[in-house]
Amino acid sequence: MTTLLMWFVVVFGAVLQAALPAPTWLGQAQGPVLLGIVLYYGLAHTRPMMLQAAVLAGLLQDALSLSPLGYSSFVFCVVGLIVERFRDAVFVHELFTRMLFGALGAGAVTLGLYGLLAQEDLVAARASWVVLKTVGSVVLGAIIVPLECELLAALDRMLGNVEAQRT
Amino acid sequence: MRDRSIVVWAVLAALLLVVLNLPKGAHQQIKSALREGVAPLQETVSGFVLDVREAFRSVRGLSGVLNENRKMAAELVLLRNEVRDLRSLERENTELREQLQFARRINRQLIPCEVIARDIAGWWQTIRLNRGSAEGVQPNMAVITPDGLAGRTMEASPRTADVILISDRGSKVSARIARTGSFGVVSGQGLTASGQVVCRMDFINKNTPVFVGDEVVTSGLGGVFPKGLLIGYVESIHADDSGLFQWADVIPKADLGTLTYVFVLAEQENPIDEYLRKMEFKRGAQP
Repeated sequence: MTTLLMWFVVVFGAVLQAALPAPTWLGQAQGPVLLGIVLYYGLAHTRPMMLQAAVLAGLLQDALSLSPLGYSSFVFCVVGLIVERFRDAVFVHELFTRMLFGALGAGAVTLGLYGLLAQEDLVAARASWVVLKTVGSVVLGAIIVPLECELLAALDRMLGNVEAQRT
Repeated sequence: MRDRSIVVWAVLAALLLVVLNLPKGAHQQIKSALREGVAPLQETVSGFVLDVREAFRSVRGLSGVLNENRKMAAELVLLRNEVRDLRSLERENTELREQLQFARRINRQLIPCEVIARDIAGWWQTIRLNRGSAEGVQPNMAVITPDGLAGRTMEASPRTADVILISDRGSKVSARIARTGSFGVVSGQGLTASGQVVCRMDFINKNTPVFVGDEVVTSGLGGVFPKGLLIGYVESIHADDSGLFQWADVIPKADLGTLTYVFVLAEQENPIDEYLRKMEFKRGAQP
């Protein structure tokens, strides 16, 4: 049931992320909905669940963009593992923790993906635009990720998936 | 529990390695399959988002309806005049073509498409359409709006197609200044912080006078975009550093930020080509 819910949430999250507007004053940073799902599974579920979510979310993100398959999965896995590594050292249910992880995670994913794409000459962007986009991702990550974590936690509780939670 | 975790780790790592090293054809097939799976949901969500946006717009725009109506009436008169002029031009054009005994006449078919999504990663200026190869949409077809050129198709799955907009930095369109006929290349420059779409036309002959407001149209060179499609208008002109050319900022005529419906320009098969293809097929089928 937990895995089924994760698949559903990731697919719906991908559609939602594609439908969300990307504000130009934030460097057209896309709301990090899929990253939020990965971070939630990194904070509240087991490592294999987080990795599954990261791979699936990354594959969907790459399939729905011009990015080569696997790039986003790789970056999501790295960020998810870092978050999962530090979750025992912080209060995972605190709003501030989720905001911080959301902001840093979104910034790291933006820069990580840019690094991979630029290395392959797949994206051409001005440095100022990349900085603006990273700042935009940080802002959106700090707003969207805590909201998503709350929603997903409520959904998990509602469906009785509490056995997967470590807390 | 730990063993299971290691197995999952290993499987996922292997999967990731395989995916990252897949050949291009397999990449496209997987992408296409994933897009096809998500497309119906995307269409539903984009329809819902569009309805909500329209509802907000209609509530907000009620006060401006009268003014808009007046403006549209004036525009209608102008457009009717233009159509009248174009008809006479078309007649003249047809006569000339007949006189020159053109053996082949290129017909273009318009495939109406709905925009169901924009780039999910935010790195490119792309849109996804709800029509794909099943409806005749193929990669490298021009995508237009009633205002002007929007972009070209990049990838097509049976029911969806991805379009790179002319505002994307990776987009290059062979163009010419309509008034003077001088050629150049229009490339996308993305969006400014204020959200304005800007393109840049390079390699314009330095001896050709270019003015602000000059129309920029496709040149027809390169084979993707047919000749004469309106791209936009010159906003400013600059001298190239090399001193050999000049370049211009071009504002696209099509509103690329709010595209909802677009048309893909598909080349209609010439009746002669179709006949030859059928004959070839029959010949090939014979033992």
